[in-house]
Formats: sequence, C-alpha cells, structure tokens
Amino acid sequence: MAVDSRSRTSRRTIVQMVVVGTLASIIGVLWGLYIDWFPVQGSTQARKIDDLWDLMIAFAVPVFVLVVTVVLFAVKEFRMRPGEENLDGPNIHGSTKLEIVWTTIPAVIIFILIGYAATILSDIEAAPANAAQELKVDVYGQQFAWTFKYTGADGKPINTTRLYLPEGQSVKFNVHSKDVIHDFWIPAMRMKIDAVPGVTTSYRITPIRVGSYPVVCAELCGLGHAVMRQTAYVMPPAKFNAWLASKSASAAAPAAGGGGSAAAAPAAIDAKAIFTKGNGESVACGSCHQLAAAGTPAGGIGPDLDKVLAGKDAAFIKTSIVDPQAEIAKGYPPNVMPPNFGQTLKPAEIDALVQYLVKSTRK
Amino acid sequence: MEAAAIHAEHAHHHGPPEANRSSRVEPQLLGMLLFIISEVMVFGAFFTAYFFIRVVNGDQWFPFNGDELPKLVAGVNTAILLSSSLTLHWAQTSAKNGNRFGLKAGMLTTFLLGFTFLFIQINEYIHIGFAPHDHAQGSIFYGLTGLHGEHVFIGLTLLAIVTVRAFRGHFTPEHHGGVEIPGIYWHFVDVMWIVVYTTIYIV
Amino acid sequence: MPAAVRHAGWTRATTFTVLGIAFSYALSLGARAGLGYDPVLDGEAVLQISLVTVPFFFLVGLGLFDYWGYYMSGRPTRPEDHSGHGAKSWKSYLYPNTDHKVIGIQYTVLSFFFLFVGGLFAMLIRAELAQPGRQFIDANTYNGVFSVHASILIFLFIIPVFAGLANFVLPLMIGAPDMAFPRLNALSFWLLPIAGVMMLGSFFAPGGSFASGWTAYAPLSDSAPIGQVFFTIGVQFAGASSIATALNFLVTIITMRAPGMSFFRMPLLVWANFSTSLLVVIATPFVAASQFFVLLDRALGFNFFDHGQGGDVLMYQHVFWFYSHPAVYIMMLPGFGIISEVLAVKSRKPIFGYRMMAFSLLAIVALGFTVWAHHMFVSGMQNWIRVPMMITTAIIAVPTGIKIFSWLATLWRGVLRLDTPMLFALGFLTMFTLGGISGVMLAMIPITIHVSDTYFIVAHIHYVLFGGSLFTIFAGVYYWFPKMTGRMYDERLGKLHFWLTFIFFNATFAPMHLIGLDGMPRRVADYADKYAGWNLAISLASFGLGLSTLIFAYNIIASWRGGPRAVGNPWRGLTLEWQVSSPPPVFNFDAIPTVVGGPYEYGVPGAVHGVFADQPPPVVAAGAPAAKTPTDE
Repeated sequence: MAVDSRSRTSRRTIVQMVVVGTLASIIGVLWGLYIDWFPVQGSTQARKIDDLWDLMIAFAVPVFVLVVTVVLFAVKEFRMRPGEENLDGPNIHGSTKLEIVWTTIPAVIIFILIGYAATILSDIEAAPANAAQELKVDVYGQQFAWTFKYTGADGKPINTTRLYLPEGQSVKFNVHSKDVIHDFWIPAMRMKIDAVPGVTTSYRITPIRVGSYPVVCAELCGLGHAVMRQTAYVMPPAKFNAWLASKSASAAAPAAGGGGSAAAAPAAIDAKAIFTKGNGESVACGSCHQLAAAGTPAGGIGPDLDKVLAGKDAAFIKTSIVDPQAEIAKGYPPNVMPPNFGQTLKPAEIDALVQYLVKSTRK
Repeated sequence: MEAAAIHAEHAHHHGPPEANRSSRVEPQLLGMLLFIISEVMVFGAFFTAYFFIRVVNGDQWFPFNGDELPKLVAGVNTAILLSSSLTLHWAQTSAKNGNRFGLKAGMLTTFLLGFTFLFIQINEYIHIGFAPHDHAQGSIFYGLTGLHGEHVFIGLTLLAIVTVRAFRGHFTPEHHGGVEIPGIYWHFVDVMWIVVYTTIYIV
Repeated sequence: MPAAVRHAGWTRATTFTVLGIAFSYALSLGARAGLGYDPVLDGEAVLQISLVTVPFFFLVGLGLFDYWGYYMSGRPTRPEDHSGHGAKSWKSYLYPNTDHKVIGIQYTVLSFFFLFVGGLFAMLIRAELAQPGRQFIDANTYNGVFSVHASILIFLFIIPVFAGLANFVLPLMIGAPDMAFPRLNALSFWLLPIAGVMMLGSFFAPGGSFASGWTAYAPLSDSAPIGQVFFTIGVQFAGASSIATALNFLVTIITMRAPGMSFFRMPLLVWANFSTSLLVVIATPFVAASQFFVLLDRALGFNFFDHGQGGDVLMYQHVFWFYSHPAVYIMMLPGFGIISEVLAVKSRKPIFGYRMMAFSLLAIVALGFTVWAHHMFVSGMQNWIRVPMMITTAIIAVPTGIKIFSWLATLWRGVLRLDTPMLFALGFLTMFTLGGISGVMLAMIPITIHVSDTYFIVAHIHYVLFGGSLFTIFAGVYYWFPKMTGRMYDERLGKLHFWLTFIFFNATFAPMHLIGLDGMPRRVADYADKYAGWNLAISLASFGLGLSTLIFAYNIIASWRGGPRAVGNPWRGLTLEWQVSSPPPVFNFDAIPTVVGGPYEYGVPGAVHGVFADQPPPVVAAGAPAAKTPTDE
C-alpha cells in the first residue's frame, strides 16, 4: 500500500475551480432569475412571494454549483489512473478551521433567509389600512366543488359557484369545509389554505390584474379531487359592485314563479352549456360525467351518461339530478355527486337539462 | 446464494464465538427499557389527542353532558394496582435471596391484584353510562384507559408466565432475569396508570 | 396429525392461516350475536378482525413463536444448538432463520421485490398522466395506485432495505457473532411480507384500494371504503417490524462491540444506524397511534376526528407528522452511513471530520423531532407555530451541510476509484444537494404557501428519496454485493445502470419543479391542458428510468448465479466486515477480533482497524494515531 506522493493539487487547480464555479454561479443565477417560474402575478401577495423566490435562487444556485464543481474537479484531478491501483490518499483527518467555516457560513445564510421570509410572511398576511372596506368572502369546500358566499348590500347572503373579485381591493377569504379537508388555492394569487371541517381558516389577497384565473383544490379530497377546479374572475371595482348589486336584487326577489318553467324563461336556456360549464352557480355536469353529445371526456368520477341513462325517462333523470343518492349506478360509490343541484340550478334550467339528457341519450 | 450454501457446509463450527460485552448493561434489560420508551410514546400520542381536545380546543372535560367519571372506584382501583407493584417487589427480592415461598406467594398475589384491577376496570366500562361514540371526550377516555387496559393484559400474560415458572422452580438467586425483566414492564404499567388516572380522572 | 402440520413450516402456516380466518368469523359472529347487532354476519367486521388476527396465526404456524411458546409453557430452558443458523440452500431463505446474514438477504431481496412493484405502479401513474383526461385507469383506481405506490416504497422498500443491509453488515462491522436478539430479528423480517400482502391485497377490497394517499389524512380516511383499513392495519405490522429491528440494532451496538471498539472507533454506518434506530424507537409509535385512531373511528365509532362530536381533525396531522417527519431521516441517515463507507474506501482517505460526522447525525436526530409542523404550514393550524418551525427546519440544513462539505473534503486529494458504488455515491452527493436546497426553500413559509401540495413537493420528495436514498441504496448494494453473495457484479452493466438512472432520473423529476411552481397540484388523475407538454416529457423519461432498473435486476441476478468469485476484501477496506471471507463464515468470526484503531486509516502504510487472533500483530506506522492497547469502552 503506497501513499499518494503525487502533488497534483496545485494553486492553479484551486484558481481554475474558483473561476469556473463563479462563472457557473453567475450564469445560473441569471438564468434562474430570467426563467418565468410562476403563473401571472395576480395579487400584491404574488409579487412579494416571487421576490422571496428570487432571493432563494440567488443563494441556492451558488450552493449547488459549489458542490457540483468540487465533485467534478475532484473527479478530474484525483481519479485513479493506470498504475495507481495500490495508491492511497494522504491520511488527513480533518481541519477544525474548515469545519468552523462550513458551519458558520451556512448558518448565517440560513438566518438571512429566515429573516427575510418572516418579513414577507407578515407583509402578505397584514390587514389593509382601511380594514372596514375589506371584502369578505366565505368559501365552502364540498366534494367536489367550491361555493362562495358574499354579503349583499342589504346584508343578505349571496351564494354562488363563481368567484368574482374586485381589482385593487383587499379580499379576505374565510374558508370552511362541509365534509373532508380541501385546500383553496388560486395559483395566480400564490395563496392557499386548507378548508378544515370544524375550523374556519382564512387568508387575504389584493388582486391587481383584471382577468380570469383557475381556482384549484390542492388537498386530496377523494374521487373527484382532480376536477375540483373552478375560475376566479377579477373585474374593475365598479363592475364588481354592479354584479354584487344585481345579485342582491335577484336574491331579494326569489324564484316567485315557482315551478313555472316557461313563464320566466329569459331566453332559450342553453342546456348543453349548463352541462359543460355550469350556470355560474352550479358545477358543470361534464366535469365528472361522460356524454357523447356534449363531447365531455371520460373522467371516471361519475358514470358514463350515454350508458346509464340509455332508455331512462325524464322523471328518473330529474330525480337523479336533484336527489343523486336515490339510485347509485352500479360500481360507483355513494355521496360523491353534490346534493345541491336542486338549489344551484333554477327549476327551468333543471327541466331544460332533463330534456337535453333525454334527447342526447335516446338510442 | 449457492456460494453461501457451499460455504456453510465447509465452515463447520460447534457454535459462534462468545460476543464481547461492551457495556455493563444487560442486553435484555436494555431491550426492555427501549421497548418501554416506545410504549411511552404510544401513550404520548394518545395524550396528544387528549391535549388537543382539552387544552388546545378548550372543550369541557368530565363531568360533561351529564356523564361523570367514577373517581372513587377508580381511586380504589389505583390503590390495588399500586399495591401489586409492592408485592412484585417482594417477589423479586425473594428471588434474589433464594426465598422460594416469597417468590411464589409474591407472584401469585401480584397476578391476582392485577387481575382484580382489570376486572374492576371492565365493570366500570359497563356501568359508566356513556359510549366512545357519544362524544370526543368519551373517545379519549375509552382510548386512553383501553390502551392502558391492554397493557395490563400484556403485563398479566407476562406475570402468568413468571408465576408458572416460579412454581416450577426455574429461578435461582443467580438466574432470576426472567423475574426482573417482566417485572420492570409491570412497574411501567403501574406508573403509566398513575399518569392516566391523574390526567383523566383527577385534573 | 401429519408431521408436516405439527412441525413449523409452510404447511403448518397455511393450516393456521385457515384456522385464523375461521377464528375471525367465529369471533365476529359471536360478538355481534352476543351484542344483538343485525345482521349477525358482517363482511367488513370479519375482514377487519381477520386483518388483525390472521397474521398472528400465520406467524405461529410458520414457527416464529415456537421457542417463546416453549418458554411460556413453563418448560425448562434449553440451550441454543445453533441448528437454525446459516443458509443450507436457497430454500433456507423461505423459512424463518435466526442468522443475521440470512435475514439481511431476506430483507434486501424482499424489499427490492417491493421496489419493482412500487416502480410498476409509478409507470402506471405516468402512463395515466401522459395526457390530460382519462387514459387507462379511472380516478378511484388512480388515487389508489399512487397511495399504494408511496406506501409500498416508504414502508416496504426504503425503510426495510436499509434495515436489511445493516442487518447483514452491522454485526460484522462491530465484531459481533450475531444480533443481540436473533429470534426477534427473524420475527421483524416476517412481519414485512404481511404488511406487503395487505397493501397489495387492498386492490381486491370492495370499493378499491386505499385512496387517501400515504398520509391518509382524516376525515377522508375515516369515511373511505373498506380498502383503507388495509393501510391502517398494514402500517401497524410494518411499524412493529421497524421498532423491533431498531431496538435490536441499539442493543447490539451498545452491548456487543468488539473489544477496543469505542464509540468513536465505530464505522459511520454503525453511527448512522444507531441514530436511525433512536428515531425509530421514539417516533414510530406515533404513526401506529395515528392509525389506531383511524381504526377506532372506523371500526368502533370513536370520534377522534369527527368535529361534529368534538373531535379534532388537525390532531391527526400533528400525530402523523410527529412520526413522518422523523421518518424522512429514518429513510436518509442509513444512506449517509453507506455513503461515508463508500467514499472513504473508494477515495482511499479517512472520512474528513469523523467526529463532526457523528455529531451531525445526532444533531439531525434531535432537530428531527422539532420540525414536524412544517408539513402543516397551510393546514389551518395555529399561526404562531409556523415561524418557530420554519427556524428549526432551516437550521437542519446546517448539520446536513456539514456532512456534504465533509464528504467533498474526503474526496479532495484522494485516489478516486470511479466504479459503480462510487458513481452512485457521487450522484447522491449532487442530487441530494438539490433535494436539500429545495428543502430549504420549502422551509420558507411564503414559498410553501404557494407550492405545498403541488408537483414541486413531488419533485422535492423524489430528489430526496430517489436521488438521495435510492442512490445510496444502489451504492450500498453494489458495494457489499461481493460480501453478501461471494460473487462480483458486472462493472460495465453497473456503470451503464448508473448513467441511465442518473440521466432519466433528472429528466423525470426536474421538470416537476416547473409544473409545480406553475400551479399543477399533486395527487390528481387529470390536469389542465397547459401542463400537457411537460407531463408527456416526464412520462417518457420515467419509462426510461423504469427500464434502466431492469439492467440492475439483470446484473444482480446473473452475477449472483454465475459471476466471478469474490475475494474476501475486493475493495481493500479496513472495516471488519472485509477482513472475513466472502460470504462470511456461518458464525462470522472464529474468535472476536480486537479493534486497535480508527475505521478509516487509509494513507497509513500497514494500518489496521482490528486484529484477529490468528494474525500477526500489526505494524504500526509512525504518525498513525489511536493504535493504543485495546480497552473496553
């Protein structure tokens, strides 16, 4: 066993390594800052979180480059060459100085990051100066849809499955769950929180960009978790207030016509649109059910309507929509389909939908 | 695999070399202590459930919803279980000193006291008037006392084995690890009960 | 009664299994009739009782409790005749055996079987995700497949394979003839196939497999179909196995080291398993309890997680993560040990900063218990817990950093043998660093708020558990393959395996960071169209990763059957396991060696770690430290 007497490590190697490492770090950090990692910045919170990310990149890339550079240079400089089969490295056991260095420097970096992150955290959660004007929205998670509750001008609640938000105004979500744990997430706003049964959780955002953004359930909540996706619409404050006012008005005048389907029909109801997109309050049927006529794909969550509704009459279909537990298709578990279509769909819409389904599934 | 087999044939030994003892602690004793640490952690998890209901959520504890815990009966039961630790200690000391009668009588008394404890506990369940599915408080009560009861059952099984072997005369002043090690477990079961009784019934 | 039924073995095990099922039926019928339930025969009740009791009938039948039964019945003690020691043919591996080397191989082979099963599930997941919409499996099956994928690979691959490797080499390394409790060791192993059968068998349950993820969050797991209890109960067996093995390791390490082997002369693999075992003994009971709660809720109507009855949903997560965060270190620390062994031997240099390496392991153990709630930053728990947890979590990067930098310094000026174990070790160093960096990012609460429950988490966990743990496992298996089998593996195939794995691993998991940050949640059978491109690329790469594993399987099987014979010490290692033949003698050593120096004295001519009675005393070179007279710790 011979001991390594090669003096291959030279000052030059170290200099080379420092140069290569520094260059790679600079390129890596620039590239990391250039890449568009996130969805569009939809809120003031998103800006702050993205800033923190940039700081993380600035520290993370050099650490990774350091490790890779040392490994690659070690391989290049010190790999065993022919004739060195019996050679050993020098019997070095450590260096207290180095150990202190690589304990202290990471610790300092860590504390810088923690400090900055804590500041960002308190920023993104801070209540706005004019807290009284903050819009409060109650969010209810239920397998497998979100519903939202606003307070109308008259103090009456407004329930909807469409999330409308005013631009430039702080919004506080109070998040509830009616069954299992869900997670209310708008990726463009960067904020999320679990909807926990028995607990009211909350976060706030200030939308800064008019547009429509996906709302996603981020916590596994069962069979339909993947399709628990809705949309948030951010609109100018004036438009938002008009919408809220219109909603208060329609809530104030409840469906007085009762079951009169033809009476109040504002225009021809587009049953196919209700099936594929929902009516603005209801969940879309097509997100779980396959139906050839509507072109909705197989998701496997609910039964294929072309099959299970073939030859069924209107009464059966209506019952299945309003009271989904009445009869469960074979091979599918109960309590999956939301039980609230009787509320979220207007009677006329239900009738239109039933007619549409009868027609579409007739063989 | 074949290579291993061939080797096994050739390297014929009468037995392994005796292992070096690198610690003064008996392996069996250390194993039991580590096992008890694990057991304490199981109880710890159940106490976490208790902590969340009672402290974090600040829910009312017994008497709750008209349901009460029989402090007095459980207190007498506690005394029974604690006295079994004393009789066990007597049995262990007797084993060390070669006192066969003390060992046998001590083990038998300990076993009977433990059995009485379990019997009273089950009786308490029957007469307590609420079920685990009535409320979370009931779940925690049955969960913790049930978990402890299960440990009493395991402990009793160990005591039964020791008692049988004591009556057959398998323990000598030199060889009484078989009394010591299960004994430690029984003492642990007793100590754990004091904690359960204090937190569930008294506080 | 025929002899086959009377004697321990598979016939008796089968008979007892049938008896166990009959017993479960009888117990269920008796209890339900006695308590006046209707209907008297309830399939789910029988199933739940069977899952708990039948394994014990099986184990008794297989003979795991024979000795203890003999003792319990009060018969006189009988001296161990060592007839159960060692493997006589490949069939010996199918029966309980008390030899730590046999058990080590049983553990390793069985865990790798589960690696391939879990890997197949991964392929199925990627096939389904290759395009948006439904491809092959429906949403329920999909949720089941990823839940079983994670559970199998965590509880039946990573945790036990480390126990398997350590089972084989650890007693050899510390100069012990066997583990402290050989019969308990055998029992630990046989609990594993039971857990595995349960988890895989869950697919046959009505309503499908357990589909609430390996985290099984309540109340989803409380209300899920019966398949859930296969997880709930399966975890108990895997956990019991883990605790028993950890206890065995701790007692073995503390009480059975060779003379002269003080704690600071132990190889770092021993230190790593010592630390891991501490974590297992203290933390694993919590996962057992969390599943007890679910089981009690489901089977007996308890209200631990029913908020309508005063239960607390978040309590599940606290109890679960109090185990499952340390579990991350349970899956990592033994790998740190393997890497330390491989790097020292393959760089021909002592481990840089040996004591700090040992202390940083203990620091990780201690800190590991203080960080669980970082998995709950968006769970809705009390806000004040978050910042303290962020601080402790980020601080763990410091001891981990010490380890990384010490390994780098070990490489420096060594004479690097770039063979397969070394390549995997170097691959581990770089990939684990990436996983660690994304871990520090995840410690930062504002970032976690955005990325938790997304593919960023999926990327992070795979960089840590695949790029981290699995790379160390491959390094360890190649490194000790000659010792375990007495054969050499094919170096060319080994290197090919490494490069394909390394490339496809990155191609599979690196893009997951991107789609996660861009808003794709995890655990979804379907996703928005904008992620379609990356998902297709990921799926294609993952198939490459799956195929690369076949090279490993071929290399191992072919080399085991017909590879060239290995010498006792092919790597010229100093630790004790290399000083005996390959494979080692049945009882490891003729006489227990005496340890006279540190485990990694490379670069000192003639340095030895331990001396054997039949060898001449070592030549101690000037400058070689710590070659004192052997003293007891």
